[in-house]
Amino acid sequence: MIFRKKHVIPTLFILPSILLLGIFIYFPLVQNFYNSFFDFSVFSPTKEYVGFAAFEYLLQDKVIVIAFLNNIKYAVISMVFQVAFALILATILEDKLFRKVAPALRIIYFIPVMISISVIALLFGFIYNPQMGLLNSFLELIGLENLAIPWLGNATASIYAVIAMSQWQSIGFITMLFIVAIQKIPKDLYEAADIDGAGKVRKFLSITVPQVKETMFVNTLITITGAMLVFNEPYILTNGGPGFSSMTLSVHMYQQGFVKDNMGYASAVATLIFALTAIFALIQIKVSGTGKDE
Amino acid sequence: MKKVLGLPIILLLFITILTACNADKENESANGEETVEIDFFHRWPNEPRKSFYDEKIKQFMDENPNVKINVDSVLNDSYKEKIKVLVSSDKLPDIFTAWSDSFAENLVSSEKIMSLNEVISSDADWSSKIIDSQYGGFTFDEETYGIPFTVDGKAFFYNKAIFEENNIAVPSTYDEFIEALDRLQEAGYKEPLVEGLTNTWAISHYLGSIFDRVVDPSVLEKDYNQNTSEFTDAGYVTGLEIFQELTSYMGDVSTAIDHEAARNMFGNGEVPVLYMQFAEIKMVEDIGDVEIGFFNFPEVSNGKGNQTSLTGAPEGWMLSKTAPKEAIEFLKFLTSEETAFEFTKTDGQLNAIKGAVTSENVNANSLEAYDLIMEASSTAPWFDNAVNINIADIFMRGGQELATGQTTPEDILKAVQQEAEKLKK
Repeated sequence: MIFRKKHVIPTLFILPSILLLGIFIYFPLVQNFYNSFFDFSVFSPTKEYVGFAAFEYLLQDKVIVIAFLNNIKYAVISMVFQVAFALILATILEDKLFRKVAPALRIIYFIPVMISISVIALLFGFIYNPQMGLLNSFLELIGLENLAIPWLGNATASIYAVIAMSQWQSIGFITMLFIVAIQKIPKDLYEAADIDGAGKVRKFLSITVPQVKETMFVNTLITITGAMLVFNEPYILTNGGPGFSSMTLSVHMYQQGFVKDNMGYASAVATLIFALTAIFALIQIKVSGTGKDE
Repeated sequence: MKKVLGLPIILLLFITILTACNADKENESANGEETVEIDFFHRWPNEPRKSFYDEKIKQFMDENPNVKINVDSVLNDSYKEKIKVLVSSDKLPDIFTAWSDSFAENLVSSEKIMSLNEVISSDADWSSKIIDSQYGGFTFDEETYGIPFTVDGKAFFYNKAIFEENNIAVPSTYDEFIEALDRLQEAGYKEPLVEGLTNTWAISHYLGSIFDRVVDPSVLEKDYNQNTSEFTDAGYVTGLEIFQELTSYMGDVSTAIDHEAARNMFGNGEVPVLYMQFAEIKMVEDIGDVEIGFFNFPEVSNGKGNQTSLTGAPEGWMLSKTAPKEAIEFLKFLTSEETAFEFTKTDGQLNAIKGAVTSENVNANSLEAYDLIMEASSTAPWFDNAVNINIADIFMRGGQELATGQTTPEDILKAVQQEAEKLKK
């Protein structure tokens, strides 16, 4: 009886979660994969089985390559700003020198996280406006009018303008996660380092970085998967344009499904995004070897 | 003990919920008649149209106490997306707004749209008031699926004062138009023709008009049909080159702004020429005091197409197959002469109901535009509604790339031809 209870009660507790996960995550995942073998429109009453045709087209689709490279750019830049720079920022904020202003700065950095992405995109739409936008006005003010361009309308600059906005919004969140991790580091480690005469850089590299390794892994995972799935920012700011210059995989999937009505192909793109995200996550888990040395 | 108490509490809750549901039903049928609910979906959550429709809904419900209208509205692009989701999920509203041509045709292909032939023939008093020529975009295989309501056309709006100051005549040919743009540049307007190219539909409106001028109508007819399209005619390259030339007068600001921003620039007198819909006349007048004139897309010498057609298509109302008869009554109410007259007076948008656009409810500019629409030798549909959306998208994004110098007309056409082949399968 005790043996049975031991197994049944915990199972009952997790059953709702398993059920909800199954209904809202795993079933749609399988259904999406199934849909990618059909050619259909939301208007058509029937679906036509086409086998791997959508995946074959995926290999020839030039937009997929542009979109994937944009996602990679997104991931690399986000890694630099949201993981590396955020860690440095968190360390500075936790330093004795900044103890008085740190709470105020933390709030300032965290505010963008709480604002809806649609509002932020609208705000940045004004900032990037080629005629009266803040950015170009600022560049002109400091004598760099040569650098003033229509940021969202320039085929080279548009994707970087979109990425820059994301960094501004997300850095506060990642910084807060690092701050929590840094606060958990035993103080005596730093005190010992002080006695040994270690400088700030040495303490950062030898104590802070190894001690926040787990958080760094979580943040890397959030950043990379986020970069692979990014949708709102490019969709609202540029809709993937001009041309396809700021297209990302998710926007392409959305365009194929809900604008061009190629539901089967959109499902294939969604499957590709899922596969890429899963692969990146697995590589990260493997490379970081997280959990093993704990 | 807990178990003993728990059961009655659950029962009590259950009974309360059931009673509440029942009370709701009783309220609905208080006047003795069964209440009919109609789902109404339109695409004007903005003013003044939102209030206009809210008021009309209220009026209809007052006159028909057994009818309850549930209204929902979202803007343009969201509307296109939401209606697709509603069709696919079998939750199509009873009455909703729809663009004509391929947009309507796609909806009809779902087999969930009501054919209105019988509704039209059984009430001649009402249907004879709707201008016949506007039915075309809603009629497929001799079945009419939509009632046209608003009519529209696209023309170059120009700032009369700037043209007069610089002694520039209103152009009637494309060459004269280019000459006028050059002279405007000389007069200090660095970007005499601006457009919000982030809105790809704005590009489609340009391309539709240009192709109509340069490509033979029989070729267009063949290419606009998904089953026979090839897009091999040299006229398309010429057309894209014309668009490319026009974007050179737009400056690099155009790919970074939307049409609304461009309209504001025109309304504030910063831009002398803008390609706009007649539906925008009131919006321009509300921005500033620019004296506006307009001219149709000019003739293109050596163009093999129609030189005098007007780009534009009506928008109208559709019903779902399962809509109750009260929804048909509501449709007739919305498209009655009285409602249409008030609508144009409030909104400034022209409509397809005979006698509902007069000098009493619109100003001279709108009346001139209305005459232009009614007298047009033929109409060219909005390009993104005329061709398959995959083809339109290549042209529209290609148009953006032409403006930013990323591609050539030949490359765009190559991609279009490949897509046309694929669509035929």
